[in-house]
Amino acid sequence: MKMKKLIAAALAMAMALSLAACGGGGQTSTPGNNTSGSGSQTPAQSTPATPSGGTEISLWTYPIGDWGKEDKVKAITDAFTADTGITVKVEYLAYADGDDKVNSAITAENAPDLIMEGPERLVTNWGDKGYLVDLSDMIDDTDRSEINAAAMAACTHSNGSVYEYPLVITAHCMAINLNAFKEAGADQYLDLENHTWTTENFIKAVDALYAKYNAPVGAVFCKGQGGDQGTRALVNNLYGGTFATASHDKYTWDDPLNIKALEQLKSMKGIAFDASLEGGDEIKVFYQGVLKMAFCWNIAQQLNPNQADTGAGLTAGGDEIVFMGFPSESGKPALQGGIWGFGIFDNGDQAKIDAAKTFIKWMCDSEHTVDAVKTANYFAARSAAEGTDLSGIWADNEIMNEYQVLMPYLGDYYQVTTGWAGARTEWWNMLQEVGNGQDITTSVNTHVAAANALAAG
Amino acid sequence: MAKQSKPSMSRALQRRENIAGYLFMLPSLIFFIGFVVIPMVICIFTSLTDMNMHDPGLFGNFVGLSNFTRLWQDTAFLAALKNTFIIVIVSVPTVCAFSLWVSSAIYRLKGPVLSAFRCIFYLPVVTGSVAVTVVWKWMYDNYTGIFNHVLKSAGLIEQNINWLGDPKFALWCIILILFTTSVGQPIVLYVSALGNVDTTLVEAAQVDGATDFQVFWKVKWAQMLPTTLYILVITTINSFQCFALIQLLTKGGAGTDTVMYRIYWTAFKLTEQAGHFGYANAMGVVLAIFIGLLSALQFKLAKEK
Repeated sequence: MKMKKLIAAALAMAMALSLAACGGGGQTSTPGNNTSGSGSQTPAQSTPATPSGGTEISLWTYPIGDWGKEDKVKAITDAFTADTGITVKVEYLAYADGDDKVNSAITAENAPDLIMEGPERLVTNWGDKGYLVDLSDMIDDTDRSEINAAAMAACTHSNGSVYEYPLVITAHCMAINLNAFKEAGADQYLDLENHTWTTENFIKAVDALYAKYNAPVGAVFCKGQGGDQGTRALVNNLYGGTFATASHDKYTWDDPLNIKALEQLKSMKGIAFDASLEGGDEIKVFYQGVLKMAFCWNIAQQLNPNQADTGAGLTAGGDEIVFMGFPSESGKPALQGGIWGFGIFDNGDQAKIDAAKTFIKWMCDSEHTVDAVKTANYFAARSAAEGTDLSGIWADNEIMNEYQVLMPYLGDYYQVTTGWAGARTEWWNMLQEVGNGQDITTSVNTHVAAANALAAG
Repeated sequence: MAKQSKPSMSRALQRRENIAGYLFMLPSLIFFIGFVVIPMVICIFTSLTDMNMHDPGLFGNFVGLSNFTRLWQDTAFLAALKNTFIIVIVSVPTVCAFSLWVSSAIYRLKGPVLSAFRCIFYLPVVTGSVAVTVVWKWMYDNYTGIFNHVLKSAGLIEQNINWLGDPKFALWCIILILFTTSVGQPIVLYVSALGNVDTTLVEAAQVDGATDFQVFWKVKWAQMLPTTLYILVITTINSFQCFALIQLLTKGGAGTDTVMYRIYWTAFKLTEQAGHFGYANAMGVVLAIFIGLLSALQFKLAKEK
């Protein structure tokens, strides 16, 4: 009887604890649980070849322009299949949980063959950890002369390996509601021809808008990391501060110039530090006409604000949206770049690796590159591809053409600094503390130290 | 002979029934062991290692209790633990008290009316948590939410309140949603328990001159203790494991980080951090210990009562 009681008690305890702990345990021990996609990829990866003799490869893509839209991607992958006989099974990731899915798939040894994203993930994270194939054998001297030098550098690991083959680039910027600026008399502070403005004029404009609307007109959003390139660019540009060293081995946003910028922003009534918004949320509120400026913007948003299909360069209420560089003392911003391309996971199957390389060559360096670039709605990362001139592919698009005025302002691609994921977390946590009124210098120093500790491993 | 064969037949029958019983249990047992017991054991084991997604080998290197000692110096974890306890301490008593109050008010109502109330309070439970949370998110919205609109229209506030972005409000907003999604099941259980209270005891107490409060406290409450214990344990566990609301509304910001969310963030977002799986599992073990202790305390107090 005593033994029975003991067993019963042990079982009861196990059940109670299981109720409590299965959530925590499950999170870490079965990382593939939330990867319906990864599960669906297994058969594809285990199938050596399709009946027609072609290989089937899997591609996971983040929503990079229309590379996140199934109909557009299907059109181009079908063309690729028709041309090469290689079939492509595509899975569409969201930024909200895409990293979780990829990390879970890697842990479960179930990673896709191809992935489309930027160097901060492909080079600094997955490439650095040895999951990706070195693509340097795909890049000869002609390619190096054609590919944007900054993009090529960002796609190359410090060990010389190329973990991303770049397809498109853009410059992230901010946007303003021109109608609201005009109503507040703040349009006088904008250089609409060059799409730039100075820090002094930015402050004057925000003050004028606040006087008109008596509510915050811009939000330093800090709910999470989504769109955080906007808040970093805003802070860095205001007084010329830096985010990381040029060698990308240490974070430097404790730069006094950044602290000065944060103090300035915190002191402005028209600017709110908003921990209920991420980049996407900010765009939505700006699109609704509530906020009069958005710090998370790029050409894709300009072409289709809030992805609402209600007209290029217009808010929901029909106000005109103008893209702008971030304000700086000189009026010449250093814009954060966006570089997107393909990486290949080393799943140990040479046939699939070769097929994936064929896919990359077809998309990024062939006569089909025009279509691949146009699908992304960004600018080509190279000037020409196998004799096809790519410099004028947007000549028929007025907005894209106009946006090119910002491209010379592309700044350092510091997202490849070691410990990037941890640093991003430190950044938005720091902004929340600044917004809550904590001492700015202390908060900045604490979080930069934490980011550098993570970078140091 | 007949007397001798009867027990042996009975034992055979018993054995067959036992086998049948275990076979019926087997499918559930396989899932329970595979998806609960084994992950639990792995979780406990890996909390003692530096397991992470990058190093080869399934479980990483044994690091003893260093993950646990690290936890107590981790200000982010301690803040999350504090928030978790605030949620539990506020949520559990209020859910129990409110559901008991509502149940007491509605359990005598006639069929359709009672069913209507049950539906109203149970609706947030059966509605998907994502749908419920999205609606709350709209209502809390800093710029276009109905709460700010009503308060401003009524002249109670001048500037919008950033419900989910201001640490003064965010955690309480989460607790309010948790409250609305937690009261449904306790209300249904309490209505059922109140309906099952032995009316002869109630009448006897009334005949003996007991007041309404005495009838409730001495007769009804005593008979509802098993139900109350179940509600307390389940509400405590749900409150400790508050995750979806945080993930969907604040991502742990504005002072709403909880241990469950911290586990997720450490395991799947901070993948560059050394030993992140082991460290996250250590958090899971600590959380499980707290839940186990609190549940045991509740069982003990209920038993004494």
